[in-house]
Amino acid sequence: MFERLAIQASSFAGDIDGLILLIAVLVGFWFIVAEGMFFWLIWRFRERPDQKSQYITGKEKHLKRWVTIPHALVLVCDVFIIIGAVRVWYDVKQHLPEPDTVIRVEGQQWAWVFQHPGPDNELDTGDDIWTTDDLYVEVDRTYHFRLSSRDVLHNFSVPAFRLKQDAVPGRTITGWFHATSTGTYDIQCAEICGIGHGVMAGRINIQDAETHASWMSENATTTAAQ
Amino acid sequence: MQRTRSFGALFAVLLTVAACMPAEPEQGIARGEALYDTCVPCHGPQGQGNEALGAPLIAGLPQWYLENQLEKYENGWRGGHPMDTVGIRMRSMANALDLEGDRESVSEYVASMPVPAVPASLEVGDPQAGQQVYQTCIACHGPEAGGNEAVQSPPLVGQHDWYLLSQLHKFKRGWRGVNPNDTWGQTMRPNSMLLSDEDMEDVVAYIRSLDQTEE
Repeated sequence: MFERLAIQASSFAGDIDGLILLIAVLVGFWFIVAEGMFFWLIWRFRERPDQKSQYITGKEKHLKRWVTIPHALVLVCDVFIIIGAVRVWYDVKQHLPEPDTVIRVEGQQWAWVFQHPGPDNELDTGDDIWTTDDLYVEVDRTYHFRLSSRDVLHNFSVPAFRLKQDAVPGRTITGWFHATSTGTYDIQCAEICGIGHGVMAGRINIQDAETHASWMSENATTTAAQ
Repeated sequence: MQRTRSFGALFAVLLTVAACMPAEPEQGIARGEALYDTCVPCHGPQGQGNEALGAPLIAGLPQWYLENQLEKYENGWRGGHPMDTVGIRMRSMANALDLEGDRESVSEYVASMPVPAVPASLEVGDPQAGQQVYQTCIACHGPEAGGNEAVQSPPLVGQHDWYLLSQLHKFKRGWRGVNPNDTWGQTMRPNSMLLSDEDMEDVVAYIRSLDQTEE
């Protein structure tokens, strides 16, 4: 359903959309029921000639049922939401699958700096490729990213991945993604970080294996020297 | 009839509101002054710069130089190196000048600002030794370090000493003046590579000594 509205380009995007859909359906159901009941009661007990209003204490059992029964049903729905949320949280944030590649992502006012391992697939070696605002990854590979900030709070957000992670000065936070479709998608900062926050945009370029290898061989030597 | 009058009144109100909306100023100093609000957090209300943020003095710099640098930032020819944190910050802000005429307007306004005197901040460097080093720079920056538009060399005198030193280091490290499109930056880079750290401090001290308006 969400796929039609916004592309899902990571392995966990569907899980997150499913959770949002679950919450929207359950909360939406109770919203419609509550509003329907609300307006029906307004209409049912509307002003009529010679009818006085009643004072209701809410202590009578037949009245309390109007609160307790929906309350219990909402709590049952909450259980489903909590189970779904914990499962997605564990899969996306707690459990890190083994990486094929590790990259480094640094946020700064007001750009993203990316350190890609070169052809040796090892970070902090001579063939690393540094870029600003453009991240290059290969489709169908699992990446770990080491996220940090050079100055203030930022948030590494890739809407097509349904990925958001705070970048906190002084901390290195590890996250992961597994891109499932090629293309170029937005990277944005999702944490107000100063006057240039609105222009802190980057791009993730998801390439097939051949294109990525070609990009790597073209850039490994040029940026390593800088 | 009543409904027609209501619509008429609403239309008149909307027309009045539209007439009161501030129009986009034409290209020029007025528009540049409005755009300069974006620059104030780093460069200050007088364009005096801010060492804590690595922002240089820009007030009174020549318009051609400001326009050139903004163009370089917008295109990533300057501020594109991943290690150049300060340059990257400026590049992002330059990209916010996205309407035609923005760059020219803000440059014209900044060039028209009175030049504030800036205090010396470095306690290193020997001006006399720096005078010798500066002989290499004269060809482009001039004997009084006043700059030369013909070779796109900015004035150096009056600039913060910490900024001049940081730029020399950036040129030498290859954080600035390496992009093939940055022709004049590429000219500067080899000259910076001839300088040792001590030479850089000396030449900056010498340029500092040329400034007669110092506080």
